[in-house]
Formats: sequence, structure tokens, C-alpha cells
Amino acid sequence: MKKQYAFLVDTELCIGCFTCAMACRNYYHQVEGVVWRQVYPLSEEIYPHRERAFLSLSCNHCENPECLNVCPVNAYTKREEDGVVVHHQEKCIGCGNCIRSCPYGAPKYNPEEKRAEKCSLCHERLDADLKPACVQACPTKALQLIDLATKQQTNQIQYPAGYPKMERLNPSTRFILPKMPKMVRR
Amino acid sequence: MQSMEFPLVVFTVLSQAAIGLTMMRAVRTVSGTPDTDARKEWLMIAGLMALGLLGSLFHLGHPTGAPRALVHLGTAWLSREVLFAGLFMGVAAIAVLSAGVAAKSAPAWIGAALGLGLISSAGMTYAPPALPALNNALPAAFFLTSAVILGAGFGGWFASPERQPLMARIFTSALVVGLVLYLIAPCVWASGGTVMRMTGEAWFASGFYWAHIGILAACLAVIWKTKSIPVWLPFLALAGELIGRAGFFADTLHTAINMGGLY
Repeated sequence: MKKQYAFLVDTELCIGCFTCAMACRNYYHQVEGVVWRQVYPLSEEIYPHRERAFLSLSCNHCENPECLNVCPVNAYTKREEDGVVVHHQEKCIGCGNCIRSCPYGAPKYNPEEKRAEKCSLCHERLDADLKPACVQACPTKALQLIDLATKQQTNQIQYPAGYPKMERLNPSTRFILPKMPKMVRR
Repeated sequence: MQSMEFPLVVFTVLSQAAIGLTMMRAVRTVSGTPDTDARKEWLMIAGLMALGLLGSLFHLGHPTGAPRALVHLGTAWLSREVLFAGLFMGVAAIAVLSAGVAAKSAPAWIGAALGLGLISSAGMTYAPPALPALNNALPAAFFLTSAVILGAGFGGWFASPERQPLMARIFTSALVVGLVLYLIAPCVWASGGTVMRMTGEAWFASGFYWAHIGILAACLAVIWKTKSIPVWLPFLALAGELIGRAGFFADTLHTAINMGGLY
């Protein structure tokens, strides 16, 4: 398998502090209303406990990205060296087809630029041997950068409840599920 | 409720009206002697398509980049849609300019074939995995139904008296198919996954949806009563299709709205 960088979300460690989302925002200074990384609380139907669980999500840098396939102007590329899906905003004509098509809602419309934009997995930081801003900022190490080609753990899953299952796209993000709290009977 | 996408409503409905008119013109060429006034009909076809294409530009953040939308024909259905729209517009323009040829059947058949290509590629464009309710053949079926309803409706303006009943029959059949499709689809979605079910509920709760159904039913009632297509009736059908298409874009839910919820 070729190198494929991916986010590993350890929902057992994630405390829902939004630091990852804030770090991304501080690093890229997105305009009002544009968020590349979002923290979604798991529905009570999935995790019905007082201590909540969260999915921290941005672009999944899919193996077969829908955004790349549907873009009419070739504004997306997937880097050979690490599998990062890059949006080239200078090529984008703002048709919104990627926004409508990505099942994970990763591309967003920038109303000032009148073009789409999305998480770049901080590829410029990766090229400088730095971690992505969100990973570096996570206080509990719940968000990590992994290479799917080399790091496989048996407790990682690809499609947890609360996350759309899209096998054709093969999204790269991996999750460690939250453990169920111990039930204490009196 | 998501965005109504007004420019896309205008583009899809007007282009489908143009395609429908071309298809009806092609049908009439094999059912006896060709109708007169070919040039006027082609003018209307080209005009509708040009208006639709103009409307579509307002959807783009950078309309001047529109010609570049052709560069990803390999996988992007939107590129293919733009290609078919351009070719269809070209055939319509040639048919308008060459009035002698336009009265013949070839431009109508070529236009109808390109129009079907445009409907198919538009159907694929608006059927992404992110919209589970529409990630199937339904968008193409909706678009084809709109094309036939509007084509037969406006085609009545150009058909000779002996072909009026043919246009009325096609118009009636398309209205019935449209009504059945639009009534059944949200019911089927109710038995699907979470977002599909939410989409069905959103459609049933939508004013766009019921206005569209009401107008289709009203058109059917009028043609049932008059046994022909009154001159004004296609305008009512056009209003219904525009409203229905606004609902198609506004009320179909995206998987991202349920992130963190059950799938």
C-alpha cells in the first residue's frame, strides 16, 4: 500500500473541547461561517451517557475522493507521495458541485472568495516535518496523524455509528470507539 | 431546508423545456407530414436554452471561468452536462439559422439525442452519494418527465390541428407519470436510511412539494375537461415545474446534516 496520511480520532480520549477546530481556524484565518474542522457530538441514540462522546472531523482525504471526481475544472488533486487531497482554489469557479457531492460535508463555500475550500491536512506543514495544526493543538492526543500504509491497529475502525458509510470513496479517517461506562448496581 | 439554487432551477427547467420541445418535434416528424413554422419553434427552443444557460452562470462564483468546466470530462458528470448543453445549443442555433434544413427531421433527431444526453448527465450530476434520496435514477426520471410535460405542453403551440390530440395524449401521460413519481418517491424514502427518511419527511412538509403536486393535478383536470391543451396551460405547467425544482434542491437533505446521528 502506498503512503496514505490519515487522521486517527480516539473518541475515548476526545473531551469535545474544540481546540482542534480552533487551531485550524487560528492557523488559516477562515472567513466567518467557514469551518474546515468540526466537532460533532454523538447522538444519544448512539452513546446514551452523561459523559458525551464526539467525532472530530474534517476532510477524510479519501482514496477515491468524490470532490476530485465531480469537480468540472480539475481543481482537486491527490498527492502521490502521501495521499493528501488538495484543493487548488485558483482553479475553482465556485460551482459548488464538490460541496453538494462530498458525503462528509468537507468542502465549504467561501462567500468572500466565491470559491470552495477545505482542509488541506496542512500539507505545507507536513512538507516541513511538522504535524497538522489540529493534531499539534489537541490537548489529550485524541487526534493523531497516522499513515495507513504502516500503522494498523486492531482497535481502529473506519465507519463508527454517526459517520456515513461510503465504501466506494474509502475515507481515510480512522476511529477508536468510546468505551461504555461501567454500570454500577446498588 | 437547504439552498433553493434559483439559477439551477432556471437552467434545468428551461433546458428541459427546450429538450422536450425538440423531442416532440422529432416525434411529429414521424407521424405524418412535418408541421409548418419550424423556424418559430426552433427559435423558441434556442431561446429557452440560451436563457437557461445564461441563468446557470449566476450559480457560479466566477462565471467567466464557465468554459473551463469542460476540462474534466473523464469523471465529472457536470463537465459532460456542460458539453451536452453546448452541443444542444449549437444544433438549435444552426436549426434557427438554416430555416430550410430546420423543417427537416435530422436537426430534431440530433437535438433530441443530445437532449437525452443532457438529461442523463444532469441526472448523474444531481445524484451524488451525499444525497441518498437522489443517489439513484430518480433525478434523471424527474428531469425526463419535466421535459416531456413541458415539451408536449408548449409543443401544442406548434403542432398542426391533426396532431393536437397526439400532443394532448403525451402531455396527459407525462402528467400522470410525474404525479405517480412524485407521490411514490417520498413514500419509498420513508422506508430507507435515516437521511433518506428525513428527506421524505422534508418533502412532505414542504410547500414547494404540495404546490407542484397541486399544479400537476390542476393541469390534468384542465386537460380532462377540455380534451386539448389550452394555449395558457403550458405556462401553468412551467410554473409547477419551476416550483417543484426549487423543492428538489431545497428539501433534499445532505448526509452531512446528520453527522454524529444514526446512519
